[in-house]
Amino acid sequence: MAFYFGLLQTIGIHTLLGLSAYILLLTGQLSLAQVGFFAIGAYVSGILTVIFEYHIVPGLFLGALVGGLFAFLVGFPALRVKGLMLVVATIAFSEIVRLFFFNLNWRVSVNGVEVGPDSTQGFREIRFYAANGWDTLDVVLFVWLFVVIVMALLWWLDRVRVGATLRAVGADELAAQSSGVNIVAVKVSAMTGGGIIAGLAGGLYAHSATYVDHLTFSVLLATFAVAYPILGGLSSVFGTLIAVIFVQGVLIEGMRFLGDWRNILFGLLIIIAMNVRPAGLIDGKVVLRIREALGTGKKSGGEGHAETR
Amino acid sequence: MGIDFVDIAQAIIDGLLFGSTYALIGLGFTLIFGAMHKLNLAYAASAIAGAYVGLAMITLTGLPSVLAFFLGPIASGVIGFAVYVTCFRYIPTTNMLAPLMASIGALFFIDEIVIHATAGSPLSFPAVMEDIYLEFGDFGFRGDLIFVLAISLIAMAVLMYILFRTRLGLATRAVSQQPIAAELCGIAGHRTNAITFVVTGALGGLAGCMAAAAVGVISPLLTVPITVKGLIVTVIGGLGSIPGAIIAGFAVGGFENLFLLLFGVNQRDIYVFLLLFVFLVFRPGGVFDTAIERD
Repeated sequence: MAFYFGLLQTIGIHTLLGLSAYILLLTGQLSLAQVGFFAIGAYVSGILTVIFEYHIVPGLFLGALVGGLFAFLVGFPALRVKGLMLVVATIAFSEIVRLFFFNLNWRVSVNGVEVGPDSTQGFREIRFYAANGWDTLDVVLFVWLFVVIVMALLWWLDRVRVGATLRAVGADELAAQSSGVNIVAVKVSAMTGGGIIAGLAGGLYAHSATYVDHLTFSVLLATFAVAYPILGGLSSVFGTLIAVIFVQGVLIEGMRFLGDWRNILFGLLIIIAMNVRPAGLIDGKVVLRIREALGTGKKSGGEGHAETR
Repeated sequence: MGIDFVDIAQAIIDGLLFGSTYALIGLGFTLIFGAMHKLNLAYAASAIAGAYVGLAMITLTGLPSVLAFFLGPIASGVIGFAVYVTCFRYIPTTNMLAPLMASIGALFFIDEIVIHATAGSPLSFPAVMEDIYLEFGDFGFRGDLIFVLAISLIAMAVLMYILFRTRLGLATRAVSQQPIAAELCGIAGHRTNAITFVVTGALGGLAGCMAAAAVGVISPLLTVPITVKGLIVTVIGGLGSIPGAIIAGFAVGGFENLFLLLFGVNQRDIYVFLLLFVFLVFRPGGVFDTAIERD
């Protein structure tokens, strides 16, 4: 049972990471910086709960805020360039963050025990859950509480003007700009929102894993973060969730019996998925069909975008 | 330990020589970007895989080790073609995200096949002209790095000839400028793109062999760093700019080795990335600032 609880935590955290990339992809920006904000959130909230002995809720909150702050600061120079230049710029940002934490050494003595990030050795003593007697089920519920809140918030945003504005910038920047949308403000807001979500996910990850080091926050994790929304499709927040369940639950955990071949199959399945469903597993048509089936299939106008992606 | 002028100059020389591999990888990214306005992230993986095939060929058949530098690029060309067919050919051209994602899938796939075939352990790669060391005054030139430089200069010259003096090069440039107009003039767009992938694949295979020969070992772990460095070179050189990629490759190689000397191996890459940010902020169009604004 502990195994499934662990898997549920991983799925929840990766869903948040995927959603942080999703909000940026809506504006047409592919960012590999999410893992940088994730790392910042992980280290900041870990340092707050371990060294400064905060409760986890303010720790997570501040980690998310610092993640958002960095996203805001990175957003301005990074969003001057677009498309493929942004991909490279954001990889560079994530790698700078990773190398910063790789070199960070901040050992202090708390209650007689030396704790804190120890550069190459990683940051080992993030034991808030164990120290406060939370069992695994509590942790799962805690993680999923945030997942539900963030998903509900993004789902709601997509139904109001904000969502339409984000998608308008993603569909055609020039057209959006000529209809009076301030595209810099929209992009930087999306970047900041993504940074906050990624920082939150990082804080949750650090406390679930009890141990973080720079190797976790690699370019590989950055590609996973954007892979979830692209594989799942940008038409609905549920696409990201389904992609995470598919990748983490089915491909990574469900196929362990294949051993070595699992990893080979993984790359192959991504290629096949993108050839068969270039707009993601859940594209605009699927969303329409589900709405019709649920009896809420009114024409909402904003669905045509999915097919052009 | 004092760092004097000779150390710095020597570090820059070694870096410039090794930078020729970065230049080749950057050229590959920039050519594919120029042709299709898309990024092929599987490129460095196919380069390394090609070097592996070359190494396997000479180890299994006992051929002279120089032949790895011919067999590797051929294998990479074939892999490049396979990547084009699986990740780019059948996905709608207006879709930017799907081919990028598919090429990441191909990166995983190629890497994992290599790991599976070699049980994940690095193999030693034969160096050429290793025992030659040229000295000019205080400075020395490593023979294997000179070999790397010479091969890449020849490869660049051949590439330039193909691009600017043959009908194939004319077709490639036409497709990259105006795909629809080129198609209307009777140029087969998909075929031209496929050939671009094969040519750049072969170029990558050569770079992969040379990087492996200069480092001395080959490992799938080389893929991600080479991909990242190649992308940096592409951006500093300006997306789609061929002379830019060459200059930027040498520059990144030189700066990287200089930072290695000044700041140590743990912090070297931080400064390389900061260099990239300097370019992004002050010269987002690259060193030569070509007029590719149709991204």
